[in-house]
Amino acid sequence: MKTAPWLVLAGAVAGFLGVLGFHRPASANALGAAAGPTAAARASVPAAGPAASAPGARSAATPAASSRAPATAAAGRATGPIEQYGYGELTARVTVSAGRITDVQLPVIRTAEQYSQQLASQVIPLLRREVLAAQSANINAVSGATYTSQAYALSVQAALDKLHFK
Amino acid sequence: MSGSGAAPSRAGLPVRPVLAHAEPVMGTVVSFAVLPGDLPEAELWSALDAARAVLHRANAVFSTWDPRSPVSRLRRGAAQPGPLPAAVAEVAALCRAAREASGGWFDPWAMPGGYDPTGLVKGWAVDGALAVLRQAGLPAAMVNGGGDLAAFGAPAPGQRWRAGIRHPWRAAALAAIVEVRAAVATSGTYERGAHLIDPRTGLPGRRAVSATVTGPSLALADALATALAVGGDAALEAIAALESYDGYLIRPDGSETSTGGFAFVPTGQASASEVTGRRPAPE
Repeated sequence: MKTAPWLVLAGAVAGFLGVLGFHRPASANALGAAAGPTAAARASVPAAGPAASAPGARSAATPAASSRAPATAAAGRATGPIEQYGYGELTARVTVSAGRITDVQLPVIRTAEQYSQQLASQVIPLLRREVLAAQSANINAVSGATYTSQAYALSVQAALDKLHFK
Repeated sequence: MSGSGAAPSRAGLPVRPVLAHAEPVMGTVVSFAVLPGDLPEAELWSALDAARAVLHRANAVFSTWDPRSPVSRLRRGAAQPGPLPAAVAEVAALCRAAREASGGWFDPWAMPGGYDPTGLVKGWAVDGALAVLRQAGLPAAMVNGGGDLAAFGAPAPGQRWRAGIRHPWRAAALAAIVEVRAAVATSGTYERGAHLIDPRTGLPGRRAVSATVTGPSLALADALATALAVGGDAALEAIAALESYDGYLIRPDGSETSTGGFAFVPTGQASASEVTGRRPAPE
């Protein structure tokens, strides 16, 4: 398997966590071949949240969001980059309103095989609840993380960075 | 490497962007975050390549999955095709030091199936990769070997690296947040394939559901986290006696304890509901 490329990330300013991830070529990859996203077969996982409905599921780089006028308090919606983890990849879309995270959805979740898919479908609703409760995890990394939760946290944080949410 | 200098070196950018990379190696994913600073492009890339190479060399020598690796041969008493790599002796010395430091709760020689330094090797390899980046003159970097991580420098001016410690039962909740002064290793039951052996019985066993150790060396912290998971409070006592190492454990009943110097980051009220606030002082 080809090693994933090194990526230059532009998000260095807005908090650091988003940077730790396995950010894929989307755009800014000037270095190395844009290796494919590993052998992740597509598989749609049962909706993560109430109104998830996974619309056009997949469109990896869902346009950076409809951030409606973040005046002073962070508000709007942003999608994190695709985060790959050991057994798949995912993207989180975060909605912020009046300075609070009000929703987290996963427009993209692909897993390599059946077991990971089952795991993801159990874990993801949990993750969502946890993020809503914990709000923003202002950290650079997770010690003892499973791949799934690490990828999830990274994508959520990157989405928050786009909203300049601290 | 198609280089091209990308955005980073262009004048006018006050800060060169951070580089992130994930390297699948050693049965996990090792992620890098590197601040390039003023390092010339060519030196930067050769440092990054050298850091990756450290991980792959470690894997080639120490993999217990690859029957051809020197350590696999050692384990089954097979002849080596050539002299043993120097790294084998280096790691064995570290393992002896870790066995002593842990009060015997980490013991690669007591594993069923023969000498198995796996509990220390990942941390040792990540230490090696990080050392390459440091020697190259980079201002800051973090290398995270599937949850065992080490860092130097500041992630941003005036900031410190911080790591969340995964909650043992709740998927994405954090049990605590720790400031990363050098190395942080966590051993938990929840990871795939975790199968910790109690060196005193030779059987699977553990007295903590989550065990984190911090200190200057990730090799030692990694081994001590394994020891702490197996030995629980008794191993924590051994760690408390070590200079510059600290431990934090969650027992099977959910209660927690830590050594006095553990670098907890106080958590704000926003996350108080998820990040447990209890910090029992060590007796």
